[in-house]
Amino acid sequence: MSPTRRKSSAHPLSGTTLPGSDIIVQVLADEGVDTVFGYSGGAILPTYDAIFRYNEQHRTANHADPMKLIVPANEQGAGFMAAGYARATGRVGVFLVTSGPGATNAVTPIRDCMADSIPVVMISGQVPTSAIGTDAFQEAPIFNIMSSCAKQVYMVTDPEQLEATVRTAFEIARTGRPGPVVIDVPKDVQNWEGPYDGKVMLDIGRYRKRIEHLKNRAVPVREGRRLLKAIQRAKRPLIYAGGGVVAAGASAELTRFAETFQVPVVTTLMGIGAIDTTHPLCLRMLGMHGTAYANYAVEDCDLLLAVGARFDDRVAGNAAEFAPNARFLAHIDIDEAEIGKVKTVDWHHVGDARTALDSLLALQKEEQIVSNDHAAWIRQVAKMREQYPMGYDRDSDAIQPQYVLEELNRLTKGEAIVSTGVGQHQMWAAQFLDFREPRLWLTSGSMGTMGFGLPAAIGAWFGRPDHIVVDVDGDGSIRMNLGELETATTYGVPVKILLLNNEGDGMVRQWQRLFFGNRFSGSDKSLHSKDFVLAAEADRFTFAQRVERKADVPKALQAWLDHDGPAFLDVRIDRDASVFPMVPPGKSYRDMITGDFIPSRTPVSETETEAADLF
Amino acid sequence: MRHTIAVWVQNEFGVLTRVANLFSGRGFNIESLCVAPTEDPEISRITMVTRGDDAVIDQIIKQLRRLLPVHRVEDMTGFAHVERELVLVKVRADDETRTEVTRLVEIFRCKIIDASHDTFVIEVTGDAGKIEAFLNLLKPMGIKEIARSGAVAMVRTAADPDL
Repeated sequence: MSPTRRKSSAHPLSGTTLPGSDIIVQVLADEGVDTVFGYSGGAILPTYDAIFRYNEQHRTANHADPMKLIVPANEQGAGFMAAGYARATGRVGVFLVTSGPGATNAVTPIRDCMADSIPVVMISGQVPTSAIGTDAFQEAPIFNIMSSCAKQVYMVTDPEQLEATVRTAFEIARTGRPGPVVIDVPKDVQNWEGPYDGKVMLDIGRYRKRIEHLKNRAVPVREGRRLLKAIQRAKRPLIYAGGGVVAAGASAELTRFAETFQVPVVTTLMGIGAIDTTHPLCLRMLGMHGTAYANYAVEDCDLLLAVGARFDDRVAGNAAEFAPNARFLAHIDIDEAEIGKVKTVDWHHVGDARTALDSLLALQKEEQIVSNDHAAWIRQVAKMREQYPMGYDRDSDAIQPQYVLEELNRLTKGEAIVSTGVGQHQMWAAQFLDFREPRLWLTSGSMGTMGFGLPAAIGAWFGRPDHIVVDVDGDGSIRMNLGELETATTYGVPVKILLLNNEGDGMVRQWQRLFFGNRFSGSDKSLHSKDFVLAAEADRFTFAQRVERKADVPKALQAWLDHDGPAFLDVRIDRDASVFPMVPPGKSYRDMITGDFIPSRTPVSETETEAADLF
Repeated sequence: MRHTIAVWVQNEFGVLTRVANLFSGRGFNIESLCVAPTEDPEISRITMVTRGDDAVIDQIIKQLRRLLPVHRVEDMTGFAHVERELVLVKVRADDETRTEVTRLVEIFRCKIIDASHDTFVIEVTGDAGKIEAFLNLLKPMGIKEIARSGAVAMVRTAADPDL
């Protein structure tokens, strides 16, 4: 139901006088919020109290809290839990923090959500209005700090605006290009008492009009015809699908479009799951660590249609040489600012991906625009998939991370929710795991925030408790938010943590091997002496095991996955395993390094690469 | 290249921060900035002058347009437009310079709005060229203080560069 189309009948509490804190909680309840992640503190205590009282008054038949309050170890964890919840469900994630350090700890997840277009609402307490700007205890200028990071920020200085602000924040977070909205609420505003309305909103008429226009904007017939004719004429068309397809809920339309026009699909890191990775037309991920066959398809295609993707530097590190043979570049995106940002395109449409693809499919039906026979191209692509498959050192005695993930994939069959940290393990997971649907793959794509995996997995489980939730993590990444191990056991979250432990920052070492003459600055030895199994046990994990022999992997994975409750598996992988293929930063796909275990059609010497200036 | 950009925004706190952030986040300096309400008291008009690569400015303008409190953005650069700035100059006006300053004020059709024994405060309005020329000529007289409003600008024809 669209929040703007509320029933006109009055809210049962309409006209009731409530404290500001209760107004906040009531709006959350009206918005259907069942879980709030957050850490308390002085300036937000009234609202925590309001949640307690709300739960007491509205307890469900089985004595459960209708609005669960999940307390992390650190506010960053709360932010990523809300983000994991939002990514896995498509609903708005909510987190609630106190002023000062509580809110500054949340800057990273807010920026992360902005960069990956994830809808969350963060409510922070602020020092009382009269104390703002006096360097009061636990004061920080959150409005200013978050202004550069969030989709929208409010500081409620007029308590009369509180209810409208909180309700409007939800609409802004989930509509258009989704993103994070921050509401900073001074303590005196939480304590203020006033009438509850039940439907009042801020005046965002212009925004709403613009967004609804984009939401419902079909591709104009003439433009649609031009695109479809181009696809028809093309010999080697390719779709490049990104996170926008997931955000728009356009997976079915994308798949139907690809099938109808017989166009293979490559996806970005954020677009994984936008089309079933096992679909014959899916060539998996493109870009810096994309599959060789996906990148070759990008090299070879003569038409490229980007849908909800933004030619990011991990995809088009060398924009000028990206898709060099594409004579027709087309781009569908809901954000006009993305059109032409990196590549000049021949055709574009600003609007919702689902509506756009739907309208193109309708046009095809109406005008019987039959696809040119792309069979030869499809055969070529299928052949590339066979000739240049993903590979790794299968004969090694050391445990190869790719092997562990293949084994995990056999068990979860592409149906589990998987979150990750950032680094090599993240890329291996993107390369070797299947995702049959969207919203199963949760990863910090744009920001690349280490420490994302564990809290995101916990948040995702609260959103979809019927699902198996796996956190594929690295030892460097998980350490950043290791405190959340306890959150998993405290709340009985049956998250399955698979630690691909290579004793350090593997991706950093890989770059140092490739681009910095094997000078392992800051990573020359094990970064830590932590016994992760003991750490998990310290947090009362009843399943915490270490695997050091390859032969033990399948059995250990099965036991770990079957365990009833949170489970931790520390797999000691080959320290020197690298992520391949790799397109060095700033380079074109022609310079893709495929390593020793993936065949390459254009061998590239690794020593030629000098990428110290690039990132 | 120099760009004169007008931004219509919701008249509420924090908007200026968000608009300025888009420039400062890329290390762009805003050369001049002028903010005041429009015919609609709910809406303020920001006029800013900045320098930068055309493609980057174009990108910033697109990003400005997606900010919630931003109603409309016009890059007037390349369109026929009028641009004016108001400057107050306090200049030395003693026996030695008084006559010459008065003469310059007449030539440039400015106004002396305050006078003391040895200083004038002059109000000058004009486009960037006039202001620069006037200040250059005034310089040898001994400028004590300058307050500039920053440019305000308006597209001349009815043509709307947004369309």
